[in-house]
Amino acid sequence: MFPSFRHAMTWLHTWFGLSLGYVLMVCFFFGALSVFDREIDRWALPDTRFAAQPAPSYDTLLKPVFERLKPHPDDIKATQDRVIGALPDPDTLPMDALYYYRTHRDPVLRIGAEFGIPNKLKSASDEHAHAHGWATIDPRTGAVLSESQFKIGSEFFYPMHYSLNWQWKNIGYWIVALAALSMLVALISGVVMHRKIFREFFTFRPWKTAQRSSLDLHNMAGVAGLPFHFFFAITGLVIFAGWLYFPVSTTLLKPLHDHHEVLEAAHTGLAHEPAGVPAPMASVDAMVLEAKRRWAARDMPGDVGFLYVNHLGDRNGYVSIFRAGNDQVALTGQGVHFEASSGRVIREDPPPSAVMRVNEFLTGLHLQHFRHWLLRWLYVLGGLLGCVCIATGFIFFVEKRKAQHARISSQGSRIVDALAVTAVTGMVIAALTMLVSNRLFPADMVGKDYWQKVVFWGGWALAFVHAALRSAPVAHARINPAWREQCWVLVALAVAAVMLNWLTTGDHLLKTVFTDTYWPVAGVDLSLLASAVLAVAVARLLARRERAQCRAGSDARQPGVLATAEAGHA
Amino acid sequence: MTPSQHMRTGAHTRLSIILRIAAALLGGYVFSWGFAALGVVVLSFAGMDFHDAEHAVMLLVFIVFLLAFLWAFIGRSLLRVWAVLAGGGAGMVAAAWVLQRSLLG
Repeated sequence: MFPSFRHAMTWLHTWFGLSLGYVLMVCFFFGALSVFDREIDRWALPDTRFAAQPAPSYDTLLKPVFERLKPHPDDIKATQDRVIGALPDPDTLPMDALYYYRTHRDPVLRIGAEFGIPNKLKSASDEHAHAHGWATIDPRTGAVLSESQFKIGSEFFYPMHYSLNWQWKNIGYWIVALAALSMLVALISGVVMHRKIFREFFTFRPWKTAQRSSLDLHNMAGVAGLPFHFFFAITGLVIFAGWLYFPVSTTLLKPLHDHHEVLEAAHTGLAHEPAGVPAPMASVDAMVLEAKRRWAARDMPGDVGFLYVNHLGDRNGYVSIFRAGNDQVALTGQGVHFEASSGRVIREDPPPSAVMRVNEFLTGLHLQHFRHWLLRWLYVLGGLLGCVCIATGFIFFVEKRKAQHARISSQGSRIVDALAVTAVTGMVIAALTMLVSNRLFPADMVGKDYWQKVVFWGGWALAFVHAALRSAPVAHARINPAWREQCWVLVALAVAAVMLNWLTTGDHLLKTVFTDTYWPVAGVDLSLLASAVLAVAVARLLARRERAQCRAGSDARQPGVLATAEAGHA
Repeated sequence: MTPSQHMRTGAHTRLSIILRIAAALLGGYVFSWGFAALGVVVLSFAGMDFHDAEHAVMLLVFIVFLLAFLWAFIGRSLLRVWAVLAGGGAGMVAAAWVLQRSLLG
């Protein structure tokens, strides 16, 4: 089919890169934003602009909060689809398990619980007979944040980068997985295509044609980011592998898995099933103190990262307390497990096995919940470098073909270019419209979360329509003015977001940087302004190029340019 | 390849490309599934903890998928590509099932 190995790799690189590059842009851009998801949350929720909090007392503060927590209506709806017969009144379902998870960057606390359901499940392989409830609380007071206090960073941008926020049948996860696999393929085929990879890495000729310089930048970003991009693509896949992509232990190997669960419960002393005998709960605060004492004794003092109570109110109930991973790559670790009724230590986790350590290291390095601000910023740069690599790939694709497409009246490069505008400036505009709408809509607006999403998708759709309407020049081998115009929209929105933040909260940059320093908000504002400055520079550069093209008239259609275009890339 | 040859082989090439893509994605997925299932059972059989086995395999499975995917495009014979990926994957799933029964039995 392909005359040679290199031809096959070039074909793969071009077509898989092009078709899934649009998804990869989303993954890399929103992945880069996710590095600061909690900080974006603070920007979007002014009520939560306070310092990160330690784990609160369970006995005095969390216990009554959990007592009021009910199954979430969304989850009740999803659970109803999985069970036979109608579910009882959600408010009457007993809480079987509860948890909280926190990191060193969280002022607010995310809590959740599992509720037992009496119904039989439709599918025999579905053993998760629980409904779920969750909430975000202020750990200083126990006050529950309302649902419309939507966390744009951790509840929208973050899931965007691995699920496209398209939950139906988990289809977003599958598309992202295909894109991640294509990223791996593109990296390998990209290396194969460019035999002189080392020399090309040091080649950048911005003064040459857009085609040449976009290829130089594509190669530079691709090679410089190669280990980073390979790592993130593959660990991103590994994180969801056992649950979604290759769920061997819940399907084919379920018998072996269940057999192991029973053996493990016997080995660890942590009961797999409830006893069915009610029992009271001892002081959880005392257990936390004991866990902290044991961590300090092992020369690794720390706070609680993850606390989990299973078989709540049952004699077999236990409390698992894991240390927050501020100073280690693994998200949490050094678990200590207590009998819930007595507070007796059942077990202290031994150091993880070699396999688990590798797994925790790789996935932990992707999720980055530990404390390392320099590395955090390098992640952002790496993610944006990925965007540069993909976007220059689009531009190169268009630049290489547009002269020829103009000659044969093909619309191919015009369509690719309009989609590229949508995936580059359009995507940033979508994110910015969401931030602007967040500051414009009143805080107590009903369905504020829903309308912010509408604005996001609507903004993105408009960016596409604009890019398509303005794309005619590409069919004549010229630049789509939408690139430049959307840069200016981006500037306006970024500046508007910063100004609106000042007007609606009083948190201007002089205050958040100097007088009353609060880096989460200052960082978002400064990043918005930096984006605006960059977009101004790009818009002016594009304007110069468009003017030059106009002066050159029909040069782009002359054979000389075409010959360069074809010689440019094997 | 001259333009006239290209015209004649166009339809044939398109079909063969579609079959290659299908082999890479579907065949590669089935093969990786087989690898994951058989890998977990074999490692459990060899005495490794179940979750360790599962995680070890999940760390490797996408490398396997990636290699299978690439091979689907460069393997000389399309028939052999399909036979190895789909057939091999199904074979490994069956082997995993049999081995699991003997482990639990």
